[in-house]
Amino acid sequence: MQLEDGRKRDQGRERRPGDPGQDRRSGDFGLGRDLGRGPGRDPDLGRDRGRSGDRNRDQGRRSGDLGRGQDGGRGRHPGGLDQDRGRDPGLDRDRGRRPGDPGQDRDRDRDLGRWDDGLIARRASERATLKEEAGKGLEGGGPGAGAEDVPTPFGGHYGRPLRNRLDALHELVGLSRARVESDALAEAGRVLDEAAARQRLSSRHTVIAVAGPTGSGKSTLFNALAGVAVSETGLRRPTTAAPIALSWSEGAAGLLDRLAIPNRLRRRPLAGGTGDTELQGLVLVDLPDHDSAVTAHRDQVDRVLGLVDAVIWVVDPEKYADAALHERYLRPLAGHAEVTFVVLNQIDRLGTDAADLVLDDLRRLLDEDGVALGEHGEPGATVLALSALTGEGVPELRELLARFVQEKTAPERRLSADIDAAAAKLRPAYVAEGRAGLDERSRDAFTDRLAAAVGAQAAGEAAERVWRRGAIRACGTPWLRLYRWYERKRAHGSTDPHPAPPAEEELTARQRVEQAVRIVADDASYGLPAPWAQAVREAAARGADGLPEALDELAVSLGDPAARPPRPAWWPAAVLAQVVMTLLQVFGALWLMGQIIGVLEPGLLPPVLVMLAGIVGGPLVEWACEGAVKGPARRYGQEAERRLREAAAACGRARVLDPVAAELVRYREVREQYATVVGTRPPVRALGAPARVVGGYRSGTRRLGATRAGARAR
Amino acid sequence: MVTLDERPQLIDALSALRDRVAAVRLPLPLPGADRARQNRVELLAQLDDYLVPRLKDPDAPLLAVVGGSTGAGKSTLVNSLVGRRVSEAGVLRPTTRTPVLVCHPEDHHWFAGMRVLPQLTRVWLPQADDDHPVDEPAPEENALRVETASSLPRGLALLDAPDIDSLVVENRLLAAELICAADIWVMVTTASRYADAVPWHLLRTAKEYDATLVTVLDRVPHQVIGEVSRQYGALLDRAGLGDVPRFTIPELPESTGGGSGLLPDSAVTALRGWLAHRAEDPAAHQQAADRTAFGVIDSLDARLPELAGAVSAQYAAAVRLGGVVEAAYHEQGRRVRKQLGRGAVLAGDARTRWRAYPRDSTAEELLDALAESLAALLHCAVSAAEERVRDGWRHEPAAEALGPVRTCADRETGERIGVEVRRWRRVLEELAEEEVRDVERPAGSRGALPDADTVAALLAASLLGGRRTRPAGERLAELLGAQVALRLRDKGGELVVSYVDRVLHAERDRRLAPLDALDVTPEPQAELIAALSVLQKEK
Repeated sequence: MQLEDGRKRDQGRERRPGDPGQDRRSGDFGLGRDLGRGPGRDPDLGRDRGRSGDRNRDQGRRSGDLGRGQDGGRGRHPGGLDQDRGRDPGLDRDRGRRPGDPGQDRDRDRDLGRWDDGLIARRASERATLKEEAGKGLEGGGPGAGAEDVPTPFGGHYGRPLRNRLDALHELVGLSRARVESDALAEAGRVLDEAAARQRLSSRHTVIAVAGPTGSGKSTLFNALAGVAVSETGLRRPTTAAPIALSWSEGAAGLLDRLAIPNRLRRRPLAGGTGDTELQGLVLVDLPDHDSAVTAHRDQVDRVLGLVDAVIWVVDPEKYADAALHERYLRPLAGHAEVTFVVLNQIDRLGTDAADLVLDDLRRLLDEDGVALGEHGEPGATVLALSALTGEGVPELRELLARFVQEKTAPERRLSADIDAAAAKLRPAYVAEGRAGLDERSRDAFTDRLAAAVGAQAAGEAAERVWRRGAIRACGTPWLRLYRWYERKRAHGSTDPHPAPPAEEELTARQRVEQAVRIVADDASYGLPAPWAQAVREAAARGADGLPEALDELAVSLGDPAARPPRPAWWPAAVLAQVVMTLLQVFGALWLMGQIIGVLEPGLLPPVLVMLAGIVGGPLVEWACEGAVKGPARRYGQEAERRLREAAAACGRARVLDPVAAELVRYREVREQYATVVGTRPPVRALGAPARVVGGYRSGTRRLGATRAGARAR
Repeated sequence: MVTLDERPQLIDALSALRDRVAAVRLPLPLPGADRARQNRVELLAQLDDYLVPRLKDPDAPLLAVVGGSTGAGKSTLVNSLVGRRVSEAGVLRPTTRTPVLVCHPEDHHWFAGMRVLPQLTRVWLPQADDDHPVDEPAPEENALRVETASSLPRGLALLDAPDIDSLVVENRLLAAELICAADIWVMVTTASRYADAVPWHLLRTAKEYDATLVTVLDRVPHQVIGEVSRQYGALLDRAGLGDVPRFTIPELPESTGGGSGLLPDSAVTALRGWLAHRAEDPAAHQQAADRTAFGVIDSLDARLPELAGAVSAQYAAAVRLGGVVEAAYHEQGRRVRKQLGRGAVLAGDARTRWRAYPRDSTAEELLDALAESLAALLHCAVSAAEERVRDGWRHEPAAEALGPVRTCADRETGERIGVEVRRWRRVLEELAEEEVRDVERPAGSRGALPDADTVAALLAASLLGGRRTRPAGERLAELLGAQVALRLRDKGGELVVSYVDRVLHAERDRRLAPLDALDVTPEPQAELIAALSVLQKEK
């Protein structure tokens, strides 16, 4: 039945709408994503094993970010585990996911998913076994639960959801090490380490700490549960100075080593715990106080609290409302409600009514702290009143503990709460309000700015004008050309204003390129969490480094379109016509001349007509050419502008937009991992905003993908 | 022994000091600023609530404030000392939310007015007795209940303060404020609490202020009374508080509200006797008051420099923040001048237009392109400066107070720069027109009359193009004559520099405006120290 339950929960998790990461995954469930993960299941097992063996893991994990691919590979498939079934695809995937080409990598993943049947078949069998394991995990135990202190074999004993989240957190930490620098990340790393450390140790045992303010009766309760005076109780405040452990069954040595409790402080309950069979597997740790003037005690409490599976907070009627308890411990640990017991001790000092009042008030305070209370069968903290001195209420606690211990889910729940807390702390680094991504408009604006920087528009216009001027000059009447030459000489003093244009080194406007890159980086990083925004800006800045020089080269290689415009096919005909007209003029003039001299027969009309035809025809031809040249000239100019513009755009895309897009893809990937880490219980408030963020983002990347494809095709 | 006779100079010095402290502003969110702000509030409270009134009226009744952790039995103790239920005691924590002051009816006038604790409104309740218990009124913000009881000796008032470690933050602050107003600090702790960190912190503070202090170890189970009080004594000894009067009260059914809720007389006789002695014996009265008052005045020696230090830290942070902005814009200013000299404006569109001029592009187009290019250069410089500021401020916690840093895509910045550049262009055109008009008269010999637009375009090109546009300068000289051209160029150059500076300075001032608005100056620090030294002289 519980297996059934587990499956249902699993499905519910994967189908849930609104949860961005999940949503996406279920979208291409059968495709690359899940397949890419398919082998990931295996490495996961491999990692667990690798963890227990590989002591240098930490060092490996810290070895820089760009090597994340390899690093991940190493972390997940430590040497010697080559027999891992999914190793090759897994490695491919890891290696491929370099910041430079994630899109490509994703494509490949998808391709793999589409036609590699073998993998799909394998995945199916894998999933079946995983289901089984998940069921077992929920039941408690796990395959390796039997042996104590023996490294747990494949699978560990965590349920699948938890393992997914641990996996995702591991990946998240790896992916963002170079980007995000914060205590939160270190905290996440610590959670991972603790998870691994706890997993290696006995899963049959549940370690519960007894904590509370000084004088609340922790040690008295401890002794009452033990049935024997194990821990010294007394009036001297603070009484207990070092944690004392009490284990009901054998084999908890590893756990106690982890808590650094020395041998002399490890005890057994009365007569080996006869009659306490239901408490088998319980390890109780009596802690010093957390609020006395001896601060060393507080440090010890803080240390041990991070390592135990559950905590019993013991408070008394005087101290149940202490700020030190609520503000320092209960509020920050509100997420750990499921592994928290709050016990109001010393009710023998109160009347029955007063005890109920105080208990209600305690519940109210816990509620204000945000601690979920385990009432009406909901998961949450257990609150009860007892008197360790008279024994009132102790059997109830014992019964609760027995049930709790037999469930054997405490380590998992604690870890789950730890991940929740770490994820909440990491939230500012991964989730931000606003829409991340480069939309079409900012890409176009970037292209426009680059085009302006290389002066595409002016170059096009110049080309058009040069072309037209050349054409008109070529087709113009000689007389007009002569007149224009004279005019120019008179106005400017010389025929050519730029006799020898000097070689120019900076053709591109540096400042415009710089500004364009800055704006596009700002657009892209808008709505990103600060560390990722910084990464995007850096990527853009790196890309912009040689951009102006590249654009210079580009402009040079394309040549000055205005320098030597090509001539249209009809040009010779026009020139010929103009020459004919000029010849007609000359011919007519000569003819007239001949008549005047008397060489030729007089007859005024024909030569005059010929000459007139030449005189009228010349400008006519010129005028016709001028009209005919307009269209081609504009086309020529536009073509020149377009060429320059496109070349600049391609250059900018390759150098700036693609790295930026890659960085964005990387962020999105991390964001997805984060969604997996947040997992089953995303904060209520988080649901609305990130859904929007990721939604907008996704559409952005789809477009990115499209442009990338286009770029490649080109 | 200093006595508390009228000391007008001392009171004047204290009032001056108080004003200085009140004038301190700590607007920047620096790491220690919260603490410093709290420090300032505490100082003000202590000066207003306690020190000045005490020095003005040395004969006023002594105020004994009963303070301690939640559940220590403060209210029960006050009730028992008075012999009547004046303050609500109960099992729910925190119990006392509105502080209660009890005094002898004839002392009532001392406390009814605003002499001490002026920021708390006084509340009166009808007399309560066992038959007519008074319902707790809705707790009022910043209220102080004043009760009278003839069972108290004259010259003594008891104040039941809220918990010092309450979950309710306001209670905690109020408790600290009330304790600061006390002549006699009565610290209540219990058998299970005497090692708690928070009350010890308060005890150490009392020692630092050298206040008249009494500790009460309450709710001690009968069986262990000897051992617990011995251990408590040892702890006090170790903290250097061994000579503090210590009273032990056993745990009785009444402690948790059983019976009448009042401890039997025998349990509190010793404490009441001690307090009554302070109140009734003039010498003891004076000694108790003096000790606390001068303890507080002495403590100012350490606390004021701390506050002054916080003020100077604020100033330093402000200077640092401003410095980042100044440096960023200064650097960009230098860079812009260098770029102008290099002719960086003449690139892209502007360069193409220049090469096509005059055959294929008009003067108008050239001038447009140049102006646009100049605007782009300036916008780029401003954006770069803003980026630098953003990077510089990222690690400054104080920068949070100054609002978000603008992004470079900011449209308004571009528009402002555009306006300035257009203004520059208009002035340049006017300049060219003027010169052309002046030149026209003598230049009859030359055939061509130079066009104002042409002159403006050539001038702009020669100003912004660096070496590459030397032909423009030559052409200008040809058109207008060498002298006029030179003059024009000088004027134009000045114009460019002044407009560039104007743009950068305007943007820098905009960035600095929020910081300037906070008005963080170094003066308060010096004034605080000066006021303190005056006080030290008067002491």
